Amino acid sequence: MSETVNTPPSAAELKSIETSQTFFQIVYTQFKEHKAAVFGAYLIVFFMLVAILAPVIEYATGTDSDSQNVFNRYKPPFSKIIAPQDAREQAIQNFVRQNPEEAAKIQTSLLEKNLVQPVRPEDALYDWVNLEEAKAIETIKAIDTGKKAELVKMVHNFKSFHLFGTDELGRDVLMRLVYGTRVSIGVGVLVAIASALIGLIIGSLAGYYGGVIDTVLMRVTDSLLSLPILPVLVVIAAIDLKKVLGGLVSVAESLFGATGGNLAQEMVNNIFSGGKESIYKLVFILCLFSWMTVARLIRGSILSLREREFILASKTLGATDLTIIVRHMFPNVVAPLLVSVTLGVGDSILFEAALSYLGLGIQPPMPSWGNMLFNAQELIYQAPFLAVLPGILIFLVVVSFNFLGDGLQDAIDPKTVRR
Amino acid sequence: MTTYILRRILQTLMVIVILSYVCFSLMTLMPGDPIELMISANPKITQEDVVRLRAFYGLDQPTYVRYFNWVSEIAKGDLGYSRTYRIPVTEMMGPSLKATFVLSMGSLLFAIMVGIPLGIYCALKPNSKMDYLVNIFNFGGISIPSFFLGIVLIIIFSVGLGWLPAGGYQTTGMHYNNIFEELLDKAKYLILPILSLSVQSIGRFSRFSRSAMVEAMRNDFIRTARAKGMSEQVVIWKHGFRNALIPLITIVAISFSSVFSGALITESLFAYPGVGRLIYTSIIGNDFNVAMISFIISIAMVLLMNLVADLLYGAADPRISYK
Repeated sequence: MSETVNTPPSAAELKSIETSQTFFQIVYTQFKEHKAAVFGAYLIVFFMLVAILAPVIEYATGTDSDSQNVFNRYKPPFSKIIAPQDAREQAIQNFVRQNPEEAAKIQTSLLEKNLVQPVRPEDALYDWVNLEEAKAIETIKAIDTGKKAELVKMVHNFKSFHLFGTDELGRDVLMRLVYGTRVSIGVGVLVAIASALIGLIIGSLAGYYGGVIDTVLMRVTDSLLSLPILPVLVVIAAIDLKKVLGGLVSVAESLFGATGGNLAQEMVNNIFSGGKESIYKLVFILCLFSWMTVARLIRGSILSLREREFILASKTLGATDLTIIVRHMFPNVVAPLLVSVTLGVGDSILFEAALSYLGLGIQPPMPSWGNMLFNAQELIYQAPFLAVLPGILIFLVVVSFNFLGDGLQDAIDPKTVRR
Repeated sequence: MTTYILRRILQTLMVIVILSYVCFSLMTLMPGDPIELMISANPKITQEDVVRLRAFYGLDQPTYVRYFNWVSEIAKGDLGYSRTYRIPVTEMMGPSLKATFVLSMGSLLFAIMVGIPLGIYCALKPNSKMDYLVNIFNFGGISIPSFFLGIVLIIIFSVGLGWLPAGGYQTTGMHYNNIFEELLDKAKYLILPILSLSVQSIGRFSRFSRSAMVEAMRNDFIRTARAKGMSEQVVIWKHGFRNALIPLITIVAISFSSVFSGALITESLFAYPGVGRLIYTSIIGNDFNVAMISFIISIAMVLLMNLVADLLYGAADPRISYK
């Protein structure tokens, strides 16, 4: 027979047992048990960091995300590219044109110290630029000039290293992927949050007021839910934003006169000036069709909350509908809302990628994982690697968000089946 | 029951009418209208010609007037011409509808046949290694973009191994001696699209049937059935599965819509001549007649399927009453 040793809990243990845990502490401890969800959370943090730090990464690696080079298309991963002679001479020509006096000074000092031996004296700089990297830097360090840093940087840029190779325009794939992270995750998060807000408003209106409002709102929700979403998105994504906004401008003009029209026109011009109009359009379209699940969820919760005593109490105390909904009901639906926002991010990223893949979402040159796949698929035979990379990233991010959502669901809802 | 069906049919019709109107007005917002395309094709057109052409095609009228004209044309049985292919839309719709139907039904059936047994197996052996593996597979299946999976499948099976064709519907210029040969040839072209289209549904079905089955097997009547000494097979299939069936029908019915919508991407990727691809190419190519008709028909098809699924509930669960 085994003996049980009965040791009384220490003072610290006793304290931790006696103090009750808050809701979020319980959720946190539950959440930690779901290994996949924790892993997903780490991965999401990583991708978020990459998205936020994209310019820093670009600076640190020294690659330019936009620089194109048609001579270096479809380079395999891990390839080093050394700029050809004409590119170097082009660069130095630009330098000479921009700083003629400084260039003349450098040229004379190069010749004085006999560091280069050009055929003609005016070729000194061109000869220097075609030297090997180490030698060129050593040479430029030997002479005295204010533009030293600029020239050293120029020489550095002649040699570029592409971890994931280059794409169809000779751009660095790694940098495109990094900036694509920004667009894809940005759109996903934005759409999820915005559609959660829409769903929250519509769901709580329908649930709280019931009656005709409920019937109408839920009919609309059900109808939208039953549609095949992708054909609808394709039809809507194909509309010309300029025509729509032009219509809006004329509406504003007829409503508020010339000043209103001018103001609206200015806003429209603002939207188009950044080259980001495809992002605004995509976010708007995706929001239109992704609030329905949230609305149904919130409506269900509010319906059951409506019958609870604390709502009756606040009604008796004379609280307005707005106070009841916002102050007393919303805190009770935050947890399920969080789960559905998390799952919504994954879905939104998938839809963004699908639309961009069809050429109707994010427009190039702005990179998104979807349109990188779109560009790559035509050259599947020559460069399969280009198509695989963005796809893997989409998959990883979406799977992480799904695991995170699942973990949160398990942690928040005690009724779910524990694994 | 009859009133319920009537109400549902009416509701479905209303959604179709509203959507067709919305879609019609969206088409006017797309870049380039037919006249602009004619202008770009023929530089000799004068401004007067443009005005005359607009009046001739009724494009100078407001959207709702044009919509009613269009609907009355359709009511007469005239679906218009395809601008790109120069053939009546009616001739295009038949084959593509058939092709899409084969593809989406094929992948739905495949998903049901794989996903539901997987889920039930896991529900009966919870926390086993198999359960764990299937769970990971399910999450992967739900999260993988179907177009990416399609591309990977093409890279592996068409580019790498060369076993299956990368896209198309049937071998071009092939002469079939008998129907069996024809089916075999077309099936070869269906394997990759069906695989890439059904993975997501497999994941969803398997997850869902696992939880539905776990829930069903916890009921008291399962214990009663076991206590009565019934064989495990009877308990699982007659008592457990029958009760897990109702939520399963829901998810399968919802999935029809998503499989159909996913077919758009799969068809475009594999160059499979279905309605989804027709919608996509006609919208990209400014082929308004085809785009409108194919869009509305595909939506009507999905809504009709939802209606059928709703009616099927009654058959699966006598407890549900329609009012």
